[in-house]
Amino acid sequence: MLSSKMDRRKFIKNLSATVVGVAATPLLKTASLGKSEQRAKVEHRTLGKTGLKVTSVSMGVMNCSDPAVLQRAFELGINFYDTADCYMGGRNEEMVGKVFEGKRQQVLLQTKVHDSDEKKMRASVERSLRRLRTDYIDVLIWHNFNSTKEVSDPKLFEFMTKMKKEGKARFTGFSSHSNMASLLKEASKSNQHDVALVSYNFTHAKGLKEAVALAAKSGIGIVAMKTQAGGYKKEKMGGLNPHQAALKYTLMDQNVSCAVPGVTTIEEIEECAAVMRTLLTEQNIDELKKYHGFLQGRICTFCGGCSGECPHGVSHQDLLRVVTYHEGYEEDRLIREAFEEKDLAQNVQFCSDCSSCSVVCRRGLDVKSQMRLVEALIVQGRGDSPTHPIDRPGQA
Amino acid sequence: MKTILFFLILFLLTWSSLSEGATSLQSLIPQKDLPEGWILIDGPQGYTKKTLFERINGQAELFFKYGFQKSVFAIYQNQKDRESQIELDIYDMGSVLHAFGIFSRFRSGDRGGGVGLESFIEDQSGIFYQGKYFIMLFGTERNPDLLRHWSLLISKNIPDPSPPPREIGFFPKEGLNPGSIQYFPEGLWGRKFLGRGFQGTYRGNGPVDTAGQGKNRAKEPKLLIAVFKNSQEAANALRQYRDDLARNGKIYQFKAETLRGKNDHQGEILVIQRKFYLLGASGFDEQEASSLLGKLTQNLNL
Repeated sequence: MLSSKMDRRKFIKNLSATVVGVAATPLLKTASLGKSEQRAKVEHRTLGKTGLKVTSVSMGVMNCSDPAVLQRAFELGINFYDTADCYMGGRNEEMVGKVFEGKRQQVLLQTKVHDSDEKKMRASVERSLRRLRTDYIDVLIWHNFNSTKEVSDPKLFEFMTKMKKEGKARFTGFSSHSNMASLLKEASKSNQHDVALVSYNFTHAKGLKEAVALAAKSGIGIVAMKTQAGGYKKEKMGGLNPHQAALKYTLMDQNVSCAVPGVTTIEEIEECAAVMRTLLTEQNIDELKKYHGFLQGRICTFCGGCSGECPHGVSHQDLLRVVTYHEGYEEDRLIREAFEEKDLAQNVQFCSDCSSCSVVCRRGLDVKSQMRLVEALIVQGRGDSPTHPIDRPGQA
Repeated sequence: MKTILFFLILFLLTWSSLSEGATSLQSLIPQKDLPEGWILIDGPQGYTKKTLFERINGQAELFFKYGFQKSVFAIYQNQKDRESQIELDIYDMGSVLHAFGIFSRFRSGDRGGGVGLESFIEDQSGIFYQGKYFIMLFGTERNPDLLRHWSLLISKNIPDPSPPPREIGFFPKEGLNPGSIQYFPEGLWGRKFLGRGFQGTYRGNGPVDTAGQGKNRAKEPKLLIAVFKNSQEAANALRQYRDDLARNGKIYQFKAETLRGKNDHQGEILVIQRKFYLLGASGFDEQEASSLLGKLTQNLNL
C-alpha cells in the first residue's frame, strides 16, 4: 500500500516505473508544464496501419441508450465509436446506426463478432450491418481473445479476410481483457491484425506497456478500454473524481491510438472529450495518487504485475477476485457464490497450509492476508461459523 | 430458552432459504419434459459477479448497474437437426424493477410473445422477464414460434409472482409507442443529474423542421418520471437542468417547480416537479406536453 507520507516525486517515480505512461523525467516535465489544462481542441491520432485518423478520446457506446449522448459526442468532434453485436441484444448497434444515418462518412464504426462457425459469424456481421444502417464496418473485432492460439487461429483469419474482400469490413482486429501482453506479442509477429482493443490504464504493469509498444511498432492500432481502472463512483471515493486524470495518463502513451471510455451521460462524454490536447497537471497527479491509494488499500486491480507463482498451482487471481468484488460491490452474497465454486474452496485449502505466499504484488498488496480473508469469507459462506452469519435477508 | 429457540428457528429458516436460493436458479433450467427431439448438451453453467464477465464480456457492466446477482447458462440441441441449437441465459437481477430495467434495455418496440410479465420475441432471439428473473434465448435457426414455446416452458418453472413495476402503468397510453417504456438506474435522458427513473417514447405532434439537417430535425417525443430520494433533491435536479439549458439551449420559463426550454438534442422541453418526482416531456409541442404531464400527474395521484 502507498504510504500516506509518500511525496509526489516518489509517487511519480513509482507510477512511471510500473505503469502505463512515460519515464519519470518527461512525466515530471509534463506535469510541471500542465497548468494550462484546457486547450479544447480535438486531437486525432493514426490508428496503426489502418491509416484511419481517430480522435484520441473516442467513445465506448456499450452501456449508453440515449441518442442525445451520441449526438453530443459527435458535436464534440469525436469520430470513433465502439459497439458490439451483442450489446443490449443489438439495440446498441441500432441506436448507433440511427444516430449516424446520413453522417456515415464522418464517423468510424467499430463492432464485434464472436468466434463460431462461418455461417453464424457471417449472419452476425450481416445483422450488424443492418442495425448500423451501413454497408461496411470500419473495424471488425473478434470479441474477447484469451489465448495466443486464438490470436493466430487460421480459421479466424480466413473469415476476416473474406469479410475484407467482400467489403463488409475495412479492417479487423481482436479484443482482450486478460493475458494481454502475451496476446499483443503474438499478434505483433504476424501481419494479420490491424487493431487491438485492450484493457489498459494507469495501474497496468510495465510488461503490458512494452507489449503495447511492440504491437504499435508492428503497425497494430491500439484502442484502449477500461481506461478508468474500474470507474468507482466519486461518492465512494470521498468526492475524488480521477477519471480525467486516468484518461490523460493512458493517452500520454503515444502508442495508444485512442481510448474508448464507456460513457452513458452527456456530462461524462463532455468530461472525457475535454481531455484531448491537455496535459497531465499536478492536480491530476494528486488525483491519481489518491485513486491509486484508494484502489491499493482495497483490492487487486489485476494489473498483471504480480511476480512468483504458487507451487500448488493455485490461481491467486481467482481468489483475489473474491475480495475485489466483495469490496467493490459491497455485496455479501458474493461469499456464498464463492463457496459454490468447488475449485475455489479447494484452492483455499492449499493456501491455509502455507505460512507465506510465494506470489508478490508489486503494488504492495499483502497477498497472504488477502488469501486469509478469502478463506474466512468462504468459511463464513459455508456456514461453519454460525456466530457470523452472512447474507441474511435484509442485510444485502 | 425462548430466545435461543427463536434464533435457532431463525437461523434454520435463513439457512434453508439461502440453500434454496443457491440452487433454485439451476433448477429453472428445463431438464425434463423438453420439446420432442431436444436434449440438454451443455450446462447448466452458473455465473456470479466474479465470472459473468467470462460469459458476456464487457456487457457485464450493464448487468451490474441493474443489480445482477447471478445467472445460469445452458445449450439445447435438436437431435434431428444437430445444427439447430438454443442458448438459454437466466439472470437473477435481485428485484422485479431491475429485471424489468435490463429487459427494457434489450427490447425494441412491440414484439410481445405473451410470456412472463413482458416478452420480446424476434426471429432468432427471445427475451422476457418474470419476477426478479430476466431470460434470454438465442436460436441458431429463424423460428420465433420455437423460441416462444421454450420461453413458456421456462416461464412455467419460475415461482416469483411479483407484479411488474407500477410506474409502467402511470404513462398515458394514448400515443405511447408500445414496448417503449424503459427503466434507467442512472443517467436518465442521458443526463447525470436526472438520476434514475422511467421513460417512454410517443408518437407526438412535435414541430418538424423539414429544412433541418440532423440536429434540427424532429425529435422523438419522450415522457419521463425521474425519482429522487426527497423533494429537495428533485428541486436541485430541476435547477441543474435550468443551468444546463442556460448553457446549451434556451430557457423560455423557469419558476417554482416548472422549467420550459429547448435544446438541440431533445427539442422542446417541459419539466415539472411534483414532490420527489420530476416529470418531463421532450419533443412535444407545448400543448401536448402540458396535457401529457397533466395526465401523468393524475395517474401518479400527485
